[in-house]
Amino acid sequence: MRIGILSFAHHHAESYIQNLRSIPGVTLCGVADEEEARGRQFASQYEAPYYRTYEELLATKPDGVLICSENSKHRPLVEMAAASKVNILCEKPIATTLDDAKAILESCNRAGVLLMIAFPMRFSAPVMEVKARLDSGELGQVYCFNATNQGELPTKHRQWFVDPVLAGGGALIDHTVHLVDIMRWYLGSEVSEIYTQTNKIFHAGEVQVETGGLEMLTFHNGVIATIDASWSRPPYWPTWGGLTFEMVTERGAVILDAFKQNLTVYTHKLQRPVWQYWGSDANQAMVADFVAAIREDRQPRVTGLDGYRAVEVTLAAYESASAGQPVQIAS
Amino acid sequence: MRVGIVGVGFMGSTHAAGWAETEAQIAGFAAETVQEAGPLAGQYSVKIYPDLASMLPEVDVIDICTPTHLHFEMVLQAATAGKHIVCEKPLARSETQAQEMIQACRKAGVLLLAAHVVRFFPEYALAKASVSAGEIGKPGVVRLSRGSYRPKKPVGNWFLDETKSGGIMLDLMIHDFDYARWIAGEVESVYAKKVTTGHPDAPVDYGLAILKHHSGALSHIAGAWAYPPPTFRTHLEIAGDAGLIEFDSADTAPILNLLGKSGLGDAPDVGLPSSPVSESPYTTQIKEFYAALSGKMTARVSAGDGLAALQIAQAAIQSAETGRAIQLALLPEVLL
Repeated sequence: MRIGILSFAHHHAESYIQNLRSIPGVTLCGVADEEEARGRQFASQYEAPYYRTYEELLATKPDGVLICSENSKHRPLVEMAAASKVNILCEKPIATTLDDAKAILESCNRAGVLLMIAFPMRFSAPVMEVKARLDSGELGQVYCFNATNQGELPTKHRQWFVDPVLAGGGALIDHTVHLVDIMRWYLGSEVSEIYTQTNKIFHAGEVQVETGGLEMLTFHNGVIATIDASWSRPPYWPTWGGLTFEMVTERGAVILDAFKQNLTVYTHKLQRPVWQYWGSDANQAMVADFVAAIREDRQPRVTGLDGYRAVEVTLAAYESASAGQPVQIAS
Repeated sequence: MRVGIVGVGFMGSTHAAGWAETEAQIAGFAAETVQEAGPLAGQYSVKIYPDLASMLPEVDVIDICTPTHLHFEMVLQAATAGKHIVCEKPLARSETQAQEMIQACRKAGVLLLAAHVVRFFPEYALAKASVSAGEIGKPGVVRLSRGSYRPKKPVGNWFLDETKSGGIMLDLMIHDFDYARWIAGEVESVYAKKVTTGHPDAPVDYGLAILKHHSGALSHIAGAWAYPPPTFRTHLEIAGDAGLIEFDSADTAPILNLLGKSGLGDAPDVGLPSSPVSESPYTTQIKEFYAALSGKMTARVSAGDGLAALQIAQAAIQSAETGRAIQLALLPEVLL
């Protein structure tokens, strides 16, 4: 099977290359990037054929592509790939506007290609373990979540993460979707209402977008949840950030820290403790599911609609943050 | 200084242990019934008073450790009699009651000290000192949580009667409402929700609140009566623009017990923090109140702070009831 990569704007493109190459029978058939210098650099670093335009790569008829452009540039690449009848794994969030998100779903439906959104947390071993226990009935009814997805300022990877147009916002759009997706998956229910407050205290003056954000969600089934989506980890924290939740059910509480499987390592070189992650690679499992979905001609475990729902909630969060009151989610 | 303690539950006995470490004399105890006051009065070899009224003429300070809904009348009664007052948190059942209490104490020229003990816990006091020293810069997002099991008084469980205790937001989360305000300043708006289930096998109360401070900082407060006894867990995280403070009681417990069930006694009626320190934070608090009552210092927590915490808690309750974010007015009693 031949898989290509469209754009290296998102740094995950690099880890996806490793992920693809560890799946038997999968070939990285090429990489395309509109920024020629960046594209050529990664193509040579990872020894993959470079295409100057996305069209040229798509013309080679790969079985699938991974779209790693900036958030606001997902739509044109998805439409192009769909028109070429190529299956798509698109980086999250699906888009920065609902119009773009709808257009993305429609183009893939029309073309009959698979559309998966990159929500790796659905493939995180600890997150899956809790889901299995929930499905077994052992935990009883869920009442609420107290969740965090905090990180450091992502500009060390790419500057566009703090560009209000290219990213569609700051910490909120970067972090909200992961937990919304996990909760929708766990509960089988949609978000009906969201309240959000944001601020710009961390890295004030350095970036324009919001760097702090707290959200409170209500689901149709009555479950309530908070999400801390802040870029509140300093660059010298032992790791990049993390994802945690406390899930309260009729049996008590389950507290999950998805990235807790670490060694604490102290080195002369760094002069501070760092956490080295030894847990399983969720990206690997996610990319493997995309490949398996193509092979087995089935839907991937995360669909375009999941991506749409998560961004719909995030956009409502921005609306609430400016209104100072909760916002209902129409659909 | 002679101190009369009203209420002989956990707080009454804990405060008594604190007073015993000061130069003050415990004059005696009053409870709902003479029988209930017996054991503590015996322990300290002091008098049993049938009620607050009979205690007032014989003391300088009244320490009110009764259920929340009784604070208002008792504080007014003690203030009218010209006695200084220590009052357990929450100061009262409502903001208006607390305002009236503060005014009555001011008029009577007596001190009213609000026992927000969290400010005296070493980890919380140290975090506050670090923030005040500017070590982490300006606070941006403050996260505080406090979780245990539903209070399980054998008789008369007033904690679970919301008309008396105000429920989890007024009784438990008020600790962290006060602390959040201590760290990040006055609160502008509150949005909150809570879960309360009547399920007999699965009693759960869980509250979540988002506070917006005038400083621009945000606070996330979580309160749980949802865990199996004897769990008591607290967590604090203060993220600033120049650093971060984290604390989790589960990660800092200096003793881990891996004992068979027979090695552990029954859980207390109310979940309590248990990190061993050389002086109980409750005693630290009473010692500071004693110094304040002796005119030697100003206590780190005022009646105005108690009122402000109550105002936040009441706004959280109102928000949970109405589904709206509640804007807070600046109260003159807080500013004074």
